[in-house]
Amino acid sequence: MLETRGLTRLFGDIRAVDAVDLTVRPGGLTGFVGGNGAGKTTTMRMIMGILEPTAGEVLWRGRPASRDDRARFGYMPEERGLYPKQPVLFQLVYLGRLHGMSARAARRSGHEYLERFGLADRANDTLESLSLGNQQRVQIAAAVMASPIALILDEPFSGLDPDAVDAMADLMREQAARGVPVLFSSHQLDLVERICDDLVVLSSGRVVAGGKVEDLRHRGRTLHRLVVASGPSGATADAGWVRDVPGVAVVDVDGPVAVLELVAADASDRLLREALRRGSVRELSTIVPSLSEIYREVTA
Amino acid sequence: MSIDTSSKQRAQDVDVVEAPRTSGQAIWPIVMMREIVVKLRDRNFVVGTLVTLLLLAGGLAFQAFMSGKSNEVTVAVSGEGARQVMQQVGDSAPQRGDDLVLTVSDAADPAAVDAAVRDGKADVGLVHGTDGWRLVGKTDVKSSMTSAVTESVRDRTLATNAQSAGTTVAVLTAGGTVTTQLLEPDSNEGLKIAVGLIFAFLFYFASIMFGMAIATSVVEEKQSRVVEILVSAVPLRQLLAGKVLGNTLLALGQMVLFVGVGLVGMAFTSYAPQIGLVAASAGWFLVFFVAGFAALACLWAVAGSLATRSEDLQSTTPVLTTILMVAMFVGLFGEGTVRVVGSYLPVVSAISMPQRLLAGEAAWWEPILSLLVTLAFAAWTMVIGERLYRRSILNTGRRLGVREALKVEA
Repeated sequence: MLETRGLTRLFGDIRAVDAVDLTVRPGGLTGFVGGNGAGKTTTMRMIMGILEPTAGEVLWRGRPASRDDRARFGYMPEERGLYPKQPVLFQLVYLGRLHGMSARAARRSGHEYLERFGLADRANDTLESLSLGNQQRVQIAAAVMASPIALILDEPFSGLDPDAVDAMADLMREQAARGVPVLFSSHQLDLVERICDDLVVLSSGRVVAGGKVEDLRHRGRTLHRLVVASGPSGATADAGWVRDVPGVAVVDVDGPVAVLELVAADASDRLLREALRRGSVRELSTIVPSLSEIYREVTA
Repeated sequence: MSIDTSSKQRAQDVDVVEAPRTSGQAIWPIVMMREIVVKLRDRNFVVGTLVTLLLLAGGLAFQAFMSGKSNEVTVAVSGEGARQVMQQVGDSAPQRGDDLVLTVSDAADPAAVDAAVRDGKADVGLVHGTDGWRLVGKTDVKSSMTSAVTESVRDRTLATNAQSAGTTVAVLTAGGTVTTQLLEPDSNEGLKIAVGLIFAFLFYFASIMFGMAIATSVVEEKQSRVVEILVSAVPLRQLLAGKVLGNTLLALGQMVLFVGVGLVGMAFTSYAPQIGLVAASAGWFLVFFVAGFAALACLWAVAGSLATRSEDLQSTTPVLTTILMVAMFVGLFGEGTVRVVGSYLPVVSAISMPQRLLAGEAAWWEPILSLLVTLAFAAWTMVIGERLYRRSILNTGRRLGVREALKVEA
């Protein structure tokens, strides 16, 4: 379990990160979203110990994260970072060894990942001779090759084509399945929605929402959609009558479609009975807000 | 997802590698080895070193060839006493400091002597005829040969004339002997100056070359942002130590190679007798080289960390190159008190002290004291250097000044 408690960082008078509490569960993917300048990268740098927090602390398994703990974290910085002019495998082995692997283990692990990414034949080429997508693959290999105890990935999907995005997501899920906490930041909300289990939304340095994605979806009121079809009379379907059903709060009616909230416990039964009396029901469903909608709501 | 089958296996892997690594485990050797390996794989560095070695070996081989090749001269002689005169010229050559080796052959008559010289069969000809002595050359005759032959002929004539006058050469020349006395004999002055000069240049160029290597290595990591990964994995001090030690070892290795080849090569030249003198001062030179280089090594790393791109090194390193240049000039041209003081000043002492040792001016304890001063200074620059490096290495925005770097919050 990786946590931050009141993590704060000032740059001059600017509070880049303001009392951030977040929890990254082991075995799950935690998405870290927020606009540009929201403080995601600063937070991640503080978690990695690259930047000293002005206040607050980073906890690993309940106690302040030590340098040795962090040396076992896997990290993919936002602006990336490997040696452009050095051979691919050579630098993977070096980074693996810095993370405490033996030379042999680092070599083996580096080989495995290069093979997995189809880069085995490029092992001795310089990094800069690889395409950007492949450089990114080497970068993630550098982050995971030492079997890190936690993963901090800053914008791992940026610059990837759709296939590479899927491969990256698979790799991240696989790492989470090892039982390690994985924190990743992203701008691409649809992507975050698809793969993450937990979510932290940062806005102007503060956490404005956080928790399991499912819980976030159902915070606030739950809306339903009712779609009716015309009855035997053949008249144009109109759901306007829902306004008169007790226990139902109507948000919007547009022809046969009504968006409403079921306020009373038995409101759904009453609504359906009335609808069936008047004609037929095409749909009665819970409206699941998309992550974008949640995001817009919490950062508004 | 197809990870379920393997997750148990992987979880075990995690447990194995997760063995906590002991705090303070030395990572600097890994960093150091990387610095060395990267440099040894750098074609420019390897080729540069090999070319320098070849030039050095070539120069020494040329010296050896020149000193091994004795001055062989073939002489054709004709006439009474001509052979004896030339033999005396050959025999007395070592006394004159001449490496002349003569091959004398008799010619039938003066014309045959001329012909032999003209055809190149003989380098020089000597003819004793009724009109006196004649030294024959094709286009010219070396002045040393001319004076040696002249002297030999004069001695011979003097002896003959003295005999016919009923006296001896000894009587005639009594009281007219001039002896030469050297007040400071055989101090190998020229050799010492040359060796001192070579050491000074070696220190200057190697310091700049490997200093720039440290600065470049630092700025490359900063520019490529790999430093973020490094810093999260490695304590900064170990990163810095690995870099500095790696390049210091490389510099020392290259120096040992150059000096070693130089000394071995010297054994084949006419300077072979002085090899002991040069070897002893070369040993001191290497010791002072390492200390002098170490004194500035961390500052080179700072110069690298203040830059944000390799191009910035042009504006962050001149301070150091200037220090080295001043050190070299003071070391080479400082005299008297300046030289003595210089031999205790860090960096300058790397040039001054070996020179004083070479000249035999320094007492046995002086180099040791000077070395301690330099090492203390090196320790100080390392502390300051680490502090500046720590503050500027993650500041990727723009180039920093030293004063700014001191203000940056880590």
